[in-house]
Amino acid sequence: MTDEQPKTISRRALLRGAGAAGAVAAASAVGVSAATGVAPKGPAATAEVQPTVRAPGRVVYEHLSADEADLLEAIADQLIPEDELGPGALAAGAVVYIDRALGGALSRSREAYRSGLAAFERYCRSSRGAPFRQLSHVDQVSALIDVETGAATGARAGFAGSSGAFFGMVRDHVLQGTFGDPYYGGNRDFVGWDLIKYPGVRTAVSPALQTALEAGELAANHRSAYDSDNFEKAVVRHTRKETHHGD
Amino acid sequence: MRTAHWMPVLYAVATVGWAPLAATGQAVPRTIIVESPVMASGDTMPREYTPDGPNLSPPLTWSNLPDGTREIAVLCSDFGAGNPAPWVHWVIYGIPATADGLPEGLPILPETQMPPALTGAVQGLNGWRRPYYRGPAPPAGTPHIYHFTVYALDQPLGLGPGLDREDLLKAMDGHILGQGDLVPVYTRF
Repeated sequence: MTDEQPKTISRRALLRGAGAAGAVAAASAVGVSAATGVAPKGPAATAEVQPTVRAPGRVVYEHLSADEADLLEAIADQLIPEDELGPGALAAGAVVYIDRALGGALSRSREAYRSGLAAFERYCRSSRGAPFRQLSHVDQVSALIDVETGAATGARAGFAGSSGAFFGMVRDHVLQGTFGDPYYGGNRDFVGWDLIKYPGVRTAVSPALQTALEAGELAANHRSAYDSDNFEKAVVRHTRKETHHGD
Repeated sequence: MRTAHWMPVLYAVATVGWAPLAATGQAVPRTIIVESPVMASGDTMPREYTPDGPNLSPPLTWSNLPDGTREIAVLCSDFGAGNPAPWVHWVIYGIPATADGLPEGLPILPETQMPPALTGAVQGLNGWRRPYYRGPAPPAGTPHIYHFTVYALDQPLGLGPGLDREDLLKAMDGHILGQGDLVPVYTRF
């Protein structure tokens, strides 16, 4: 054990400051585009959802409770932290992506999030003596390792199946929310694509662009695939029915 | 510490039955005394060293190293798990011969340095392919036995990071002067 303080606090403070306005803007944009591009399915799509009202200036979550959102933010912050290479999952709005998707394409995962996050919090309390967000950085990492490897499954925290399955689901969705097309609500301001130096979708590539790409000099165009006429929302909707969006 | 009535039997199996697998075909005297301030052979491991607790690496001490010991390595293996057995919980090598044990809670973060007394020591890959200790997580109701095996080596092997148990055993082949075990058990309910 160490005396190291949770780094979540400073990261969250950062979000409350510079990132909060952007988060709200992204959330609003997602709500509009998702309504036209994603056909909601299942109970979450039809039930009257009460938005989670949070402190002024912060993200309004539509499907996650305040406690769930706080915990998921802290987990996402550990999975893809902000570092010297650039912003992480929080700044990318990965949890906003998950929240919005739980009302649509990922609605079948809603119960897995509800039960999994509750079990995860119980596991942290029983094994490390405190909620996840109050643990030191090293204890947060340690707890996540035990969940990822399935070692937390038998700790009687109430994971439905393997704790590793819950971890894998969260990890996949955080990756989607960080590096997916911003159209879906994450990858805010293209920070995920900038992080991996992805120059963006291009439907036509000239020899000059190809040369620049191979030289690592192709500037990011910061455009969603759906900014192009070649990617129509109707096509996306058709494709989704066959691929189930990876949940 | 409480010890169930069947523990002496398990301990006997652990220390005698599996001993040949701990070495690499080399005849090795089992002279090293391996102890811990938190448990003895046959004891139940405290939950602090398992995923039911904070999953710290346990403190170990050793004594009676053979003359000529120049480097030390430690493995933690469960010969009742893994396919093929054993399931490996901990691999650490390059430990200076001047060290007389390992403190509790060795690093799991790559940016955290080893304690000064262990300068040069490297944590290798466990069964999860992770370079740190992960404690027992057996199926509920099934006691498992954990071998903390200390190896005394006749020379520094100069091994880099990323070795697993098999790699380490091959590298140590012909260099093991002696070894010893601490063999606790753990059961989940």
